[in-house]
Amino acid sequence: MKVSGEKTFAAPRATVWRVLNDPTAMARTMPGVESFDVHDDRRWTANVKIPLGLGGLKMKVDMDKVEERPPDFAKLAMKGTGVGAMMRMETSFNLSDAAGGGTTMAWDADVHIAGPVGSMGQRVLQPIVNQQVQSVLSALDEQVQEAAGSTSG
Amino acid sequence: MSSSTTVAPSPVQAPQKGWAGQSVPRKEDKRLLQGEGVFVDDVKRHGMGYVHFVRSPYAHAHITRIDVSEAEAVEGVYGTLTGEEVAALTDPFFQIAGAPGGQIKDYSLAVGKVRYVGEAVVAVVAETRELARDASELVEVDYEPLPALVDARKALDADAPVLHDDAGGNLMWHGSYEWGDLDAAFAEADRVVRIEELHFHRFNSTPLECDGALVEYNRGVGQWTIHTNNQFPGFAAIMMGPAMRVGLDRLRFVTQDIGGGFGNKITSHPQLVVCCLLARKLGRPIQWTEWRTDFHLSMSHGNERWFHDTEVAVRSDGTLLGFRTKALDDAGAWLRYEPLGGVIWAQVTPGMYRWRHIRVDFTQVATNKAPVSPNRGYSRMQHLWFTERVIDIVAHELGLDPVEVRKRNYIRAEEMPYETPNGCVYDSGDYARMLDLALELVGHGEIETRRAEAAARGRLLGVGIGSTLDSGTNNFGQSRLINPELQFSGNNEVATVKLDIFGEIVVTLGTTPQGQGHETTAAQVVADILRCSPDDVHVRAGHDSYWNSHAGFSGTYASQFAVTGLSAVKGATEMLAGEIKRLASAVFGGVPVEALELADGGVRIKGSPEAFLPFMACGAIVNANNAGLPEDLDVTLNCRYVYRPPFQVPDVERKFGNLTLTYAAQIHAAVIEVDPETGWYELVDYAAVDDCGSRINPQIVEGQVMGATAQAIGAAMHEVFEYDEDGNLLTPNFYDYHVPHALDMPPLATGAIESPSPFTPLGTKGMGEGGGAGIHAVCAAVQDALRGHGDAIVWDSCNPYRRVWEMLEHPERSRALVSVT
Repeated sequence: MKVSGEKTFAAPRATVWRVLNDPTAMARTMPGVESFDVHDDRRWTANVKIPLGLGGLKMKVDMDKVEERPPDFAKLAMKGTGVGAMMRMETSFNLSDAAGGGTTMAWDADVHIAGPVGSMGQRVLQPIVNQQVQSVLSALDEQVQEAAGSTSG
Repeated sequence: MSSSTTVAPSPVQAPQKGWAGQSVPRKEDKRLLQGEGVFVDDVKRHGMGYVHFVRSPYAHAHITRIDVSEAEAVEGVYGTLTGEEVAALTDPFFQIAGAPGGQIKDYSLAVGKVRYVGEAVVAVVAETRELARDASELVEVDYEPLPALVDARKALDADAPVLHDDAGGNLMWHGSYEWGDLDAAFAEADRVVRIEELHFHRFNSTPLECDGALVEYNRGVGQWTIHTNNQFPGFAAIMMGPAMRVGLDRLRFVTQDIGGGFGNKITSHPQLVVCCLLARKLGRPIQWTEWRTDFHLSMSHGNERWFHDTEVAVRSDGTLLGFRTKALDDAGAWLRYEPLGGVIWAQVTPGMYRWRHIRVDFTQVATNKAPVSPNRGYSRMQHLWFTERVIDIVAHELGLDPVEVRKRNYIRAEEMPYETPNGCVYDSGDYARMLDLALELVGHGEIETRRAEAAARGRLLGVGIGSTLDSGTNNFGQSRLINPELQFSGNNEVATVKLDIFGEIVVTLGTTPQGQGHETTAAQVVADILRCSPDDVHVRAGHDSYWNSHAGFSGTYASQFAVTGLSAVKGATEMLAGEIKRLASAVFGGVPVEALELADGGVRIKGSPEAFLPFMACGAIVNANNAGLPEDLDVTLNCRYVYRPPFQVPDVERKFGNLTLTYAAQIHAAVIEVDPETGWYELVDYAAVDDCGSRINPQIVEGQVMGATAQAIGAAMHEVFEYDEDGNLLTPNFYDYHVPHALDMPPLATGAIESPSPFTPLGTKGMGEGGGAGIHAVCAAVQDALRGHGDAIVWDSCNPYRRVWEMLEHPERSRALVSVT
């Protein structure tokens, strides 16, 4: 399942880049994060509980930054395992200066869900993924605003 | 010797025309209806462990690591089995195919790689079913995902992911079949109808009971007892013995009641091997009951088939001369019974029609989907759906009446027995008369009036016909058309009939009934020969390969019990009747055998009813009171008979020969009404007419017809094993996979004619698999309903409402598939 989009932040590119590369800040953007471990600056692990149907889906997600060109581009590979589901995702983002100021982030993600949850099919998963993406983006916006505020302050 | 030991038998009155042909109540029903049947899940043993399979979440992936330590550490977990152990302890299963498909290495658990979602990777055994399931979640398997191949049409592309490196690609089997003179047929044709693509979808018949086993290992004698609902133990034994490196006498198959089979329970041998290995490894009985989702994910999907570049040679009056097509069969990930589907269809090559010039180029490929194997109507259903689609599309495009086209082209009653272009011999039948009966049952004479009336209500009415053959009693020699190296041919089944000490008539069968009423019909046949009541005949329930009633092809599959099973019963009973008379001849002091007759539960001298020896006396004399019997009296009253159908080995070069012994027929007619706004439709009238030769028990036959019809309606309207592009099965349980229930059934009228088979001892034909006619009929009815409303062509065998809506909205899409010159 491929999803992509653009988001504009009212902050300079360096700030956005810093947030996107700060595991602690990123952990705050992800829904249902129960714990977060930073192994090094390229590898993180999160234990998340994705709100899915009854009870939620617990998943251990390993993230690996496989490519980066500061302060514009990064690509992450994520691999999640949980009871009833396995997830693989490749996501990348590209930052550029927005026309009216601020920073535009063009992003895309290719998500593969396997296991019984995958059998639910895209008709069910697509809305869930869309919802999660919106949630991540608005949390990211908050993180960027916070970072921009602390920088300016 | 006197008759002093006799007790008068209960008076029995055989009906004037015999028990065969009567709908006597089924012997099995009392225990089944009272919940006293013994199904595999009812078999318990002390200390048994429950097995649960860890299954692949990926359609295609390398297995890089398996760690069972955490699962094995759980209290109550007895142990595990991995593919690595299986590869060390067993050999790959024997392959029916030659190269390239025959080069694949198939084990009972995945070894190094998984090839479909749901493939078994590890088995976990624990003291409860639930614990085994929970512990299986603790098994760590690391996968390295690979691209998945889901669409068979892309299997042979240069960049397609390859499932089996051993086979060098995804081609599993290919064969070209050609009979007659295609060039002459197309030269003679007034019109040529071309159909670019037709698709028969993937589904199966979802028996109520999933697969299962209780396996015990007797270490002292090195022998396994396998209580299982596998429906073809003969085949399972041939697959399992060599793989496990043991003789077949080490594998004892036992079954009593089975909750439906439909062919889906033929290929459980991989799971049975796992249970055997675990029973030996863990030193305890192993119980396996398949979960419904596991069944959907991994067990015996019906063959999905594409038909490409079809061309039909036809005269202007609708006379069909011949056709050519390219069939592409999607075998899924493993060849568990395949590529036999590549030849089974040829049992019914011309369908029910007289065309003599036929070419089928058949290709079977592997995909990252569950393996296919027999499903009620196996492979013939796909081909007969194709021939019926061709008939209806030709009629549609040439503006002809589908009824008239059928009648013009049906093989005629007076042409029977009829040799088809590929040497099959249709034994008997009157298809045109069956069609008339089906049409009468749905009120076809008033159909135009009803069409107008439906139109006034805003509904589109359509009527469709499905004609189908149920070829039964396989000649296993047809496997040589797939692989000339194979040494299988003919067929057999066995029965024993004995008279026990107190005169009990005891019958054992080699078959594995799944609800077909074998105990009842066998008793009817015995009763007619021994001149007693079916109530006096005890037919042992189920199957046990340790009984001396197991032959190489024993089992219940492929429409053959009424021929193979009952002919074996007949043969054994006639042997017993002869022995009873010879015994009585001696007891009566040398009365000629010809002067004796069986009657009223005993044997008597014709014309002297007082000279009567009841069966009880016969049994007692031979078994327990035999001193003084003549030395040359060779009578045991325990008779075993193996029925062997009259077959020759087919001509491999010409692909010619009789592939089955009998050809039962079913013709269905469906009337539907479509809501043109939504594509929703309902069956408003339905008729199924059956001709399976002489019917031993008409009610059982009718039950088979109704059950098969329900399955066909489900397949035609709802049931699809649908995969996404990653190879995830989107319909893995009954939430997504709708099987028809009572409210889905239309008003169903049944009819029957009887054309006895001249080739079988009882005039019977195998039956039960003709329900595919329902798929054809619904497809034809949908196409008829849309006639004049976009004129869409029905190109897929499953037409849920959304597809009908698409055809109404975009008729040009299916119209583009058809052209006429």
